[in-house]
Order: sequence, then structure tokens, then C-alpha cells
Amino acid sequence: MDTRVDFPQASLAARSRASHLPRRWTSDRVTSLFMLALALPLAAALYEDTASMLPVLGGALVVALGWTLLFARLRGKAMNWHAVPTAILFALLAPAELPLWQVLLALSFGLVFGEQVFGGRGYSFLNPTVTALAFLYFSFPAASAGTVGSQLVALAVIPGALLLLATGLVSWRILTGFAAGLAGWIAVRGMGVPGIELLTPALVLGAVHLVADPVSAAATNTGRVVHGLLVGALVVILGAAGNGIGATPAIVFAALLGSIFAPLIDGLVIHLNVRRRRRRSWPTSIR
Amino acid sequence: MLPTLRHLTEPIVDGNPVTLQILGICSALAVTTSLSTALTMSVALTVTAGAASLLVSTLRRHIPSSIRLIVQITIIASLVIVIDQVLRAYAYGMSQRLSIFVGLIITNCVVLGRAEGFAMRNPPLPSLLDGLGNGIGYSAILLIVGTIRELLGAGSLFGYAVLPTVAAGGWFQPLGLMLLAPSAFFIIALLIWLIRSWKPEQVEQPEFRLRTGPDGGQA
Repeated sequence: MDTRVDFPQASLAARSRASHLPRRWTSDRVTSLFMLALALPLAAALYEDTASMLPVLGGALVVALGWTLLFARLRGKAMNWHAVPTAILFALLAPAELPLWQVLLALSFGLVFGEQVFGGRGYSFLNPTVTALAFLYFSFPAASAGTVGSQLVALAVIPGALLLLATGLVSWRILTGFAAGLAGWIAVRGMGVPGIELLTPALVLGAVHLVADPVSAAATNTGRVVHGLLVGALVVILGAAGNGIGATPAIVFAALLGSIFAPLIDGLVIHLNVRRRRRRSWPTSIR
Repeated sequence: MLPTLRHLTEPIVDGNPVTLQILGICSALAVTTSLSTALTMSVALTVTAGAASLLVSTLRRHIPSSIRLIVQITIIASLVIVIDQVLRAYAYGMSQRLSIFVGLIITNCVVLGRAEGFAMRNPPLPSLLDGLGNGIGYSAILLIVGTIRELLGAGSLFGYAVLPTVAAGGWFQPLGLMLLAPSAFFIIALLIWLIRSWKPEQVEQPEFRLRTGPDGGQA
């Protein structure tokens, strides 16, 4: 049986390359690419509203790097810079109306309980930004009535998304599945043809950086499609019941549920694959 | 210290039923949204655990091994019914707030676990102390979790406002998450982390190790 399942998690967790990955994939290289992908949306968001973005962004960077440094020291491991893209992503998605301490408390919770307690980036099964935003919405119900955001930021996500797709850090299967799930469930519910109102920063950023995050998403190819379909349909279900499909809570909770189901989906896909290969009449699985 | 008193003190930290044996989690999640329900539940469980262990230990030579669990459950159930009736008679409001969780002490693993695991093969006095000690260990965790959850979730303790909330004109913004069951999981997990950092001998051996590193962890 082909055991070379493509797990990008391995490259995110390991300081140096895992044995089956090309030499170029070190965790710092991966982090830099995610930072590069987030640079344009960050610039667009700063251009739109510098005054409310800067304190959140600065605070998020300090808190995120602080927790990473503390855990690196406690565990005697090398420092990892992935807290920077996490902080940028969180600052882009966090509701701007809330007091700073509430936002930073939520980010601390997400980083510690969604990532660091499991051993850091690549070892956990949740995305820290998703965990932090879920904490924010559960703890401070005022947060979920947040603003939708500008289409400029949403459009600025696309070049970075193409970069991540081209380098294989984000799976096209997840994004295709996500789009299909979203469109399919909208069609099933008869909500009409979705238009430009779906082009919100939350939905686009969320699809690329939260749903398709290689750490928390499914890692088998079939599993990726299923995971994308599931999250896409969940966004419509949760969005229609809440503040609209383009709002942040819908994509956050859909991504959270999706990442909780991802290991199960992968397990099922591997189980079915093993069974299918065993049932073949010729013994390809034994070499 | 008297050697028998060890049975009373050991379950409080070293063998805590919640943080070491991971028992009684269900009720620890359910009744800790406020400190008063946590305290009532703690007293009820401690009394039940002590009395059940004492009775089971007294009867241990007469209980046939094949039906011992049924006999133990019958004893525990009788005690719990008495406690439930006392609560209904003297603290009806509290009994309503605790709803089924007093009744569910019957199936609480802490009580049955001590009856089966300790009282069945130890004399009455150590069994009584062991039951009470485990009840106190459970109570300690419930009270800590209840304090954190009520203080951060509602800004009050025993229903009295400690931190003036925004809704009441103060400055404290309550954390809604603290009133939901997951927060108890996080707090208990943090307590386990804290206790095991303090007493590393409680840390379990990992079932497997992740293979990472320059050579895939082969070295």
C-alpha cells in the first residue's frame, strides 16, 4: 500500500524537513509564505481603517508572540514564528467594536487552548484563530453582531490565496469542495443565485486561511473534498440561522465543526481505501 | 499523623477522584455554574460517599460476590433518596436547581468506585475515612471550579455581587462562556495541569510519541 499520504502538518510541525517532503519545506519557509499571503489583505484593511486596526494588530502580535515564546521556553523548544500570521489573521477577523482586552483575552485562549497545549503549530487539530473567535462569540454575545467589512479586503485575499494554492500549502480540493458545498446548499434551500454580497472578507479569508488551514483541515485527498463540502454547507446553514452567510460567526463555527470532523473524515477515507485494496482480486497490496 | 487518617487526607490531592482518577466529571460540569449549587452537591456527595463506604464495609462479609454491585447500588440509592428528600423538605429551591443531579449521585463513579474498590475489602473506620476523603477531594475541585465559573461568568459568589457587572452599572463584563459546560472542562484541565506540574509523579506515561525531528524521530 502506498504509505506516502501527503500530510502538510508534518512540514509545519517539524523544524527541519520530514523525510518524505522536499528539502525546501521548513516551518519557517511555510510561515513566511502565510505571512506573504496575508500582507495584501492586511495592507487593504489598514488602508480602509487604520485607527481601529492598529491597536488590535499591535496587541495581537505582542500577545501571540508572548505566548509562543513562553511555551517555547517552558518546553525547551525552538521559537516558531507562526504566531505572526495567526495574529494578523485574528486582527483582520476580530470585531472592531469590542474593548481591546476582550479581543486579546480571546486570542490568548485560542493560542493556548487551540494550539500551544497540544505542542504548538502543526501538533494541534484546531486553528488558533478559529478557537479564539469562537471563544469571543461565546463569551461576549455583542461580538457576533459585527460589521461585514469591505470588499477591497476580500479581493486583496485572492493573490495570496493563489500563491498558497500554487505552493500546495492550501489544497484546491478543500476550496473547490467548499465552493460546491456553499453553492449546493444555497441551491437546495432555494435562496436564489448568490451575488456580490458573498464577497466579504470573513468568507474569503475564512475559506482560505481557516477552513483550508493545513493543520486543522482533512489531509487525505478524498477527505479534503468531503471536508470542504461539509464546511461549505455548514456556512449556509449557520449563516441563514444567524447574521447572514457572509458574516464572520457563520464561517468561524463552520470551520470549527469542520476541523473537529476532519480526523474522522480522514480515518474513514483511509479505512475505506484499505478495505477496497484488500478486496482486489490481485495482490497489489503485498509486495 | 495517625496511619488511618491517611485514608482521609490522601484523596484530597494525591489521589483526587476528579483530577487523578478523572471520575465524577459529569456532575462537576453540571452543578458548578454557581457556588451554592456546587457546595450543596459537595456536601450531598461527601455524606453519601462516607455513609455508603461505611455501610458497605460493615456488610462486606455478608455480601455475595456475584451480586455485590447490586447490593452496593441499593445501599447508595437508599442514601441518595434520603438526601434528596431532606433537600426537598428543607431547601426546595436548591433541590429544584440541582434537578436530577442529586438523584444521579447513585451512579456517580466516585461513590461506587470507593464502595467497590476500597470498602469491600477494608474495615469500617478506614472505609468511612476513605469515603469522606474522596468526597472532600471531589468537593475541593467542585468548589474551585464553581468559584471561578460564578465569579467570571456572573461576577458574583453565592449569588452576592462581588464584581459589579456592566448590566448593573459597574465595570465587569461577564464571560458568557463560563456559564456553559465547556468552561468547566477547560478549568478542570487547567487544574489537572497545575496539580501535575506540582506533583509530577501523577503524570501518566504517554501511549505513543510523535515522530518528528531531522530524521523523522528515528534516532
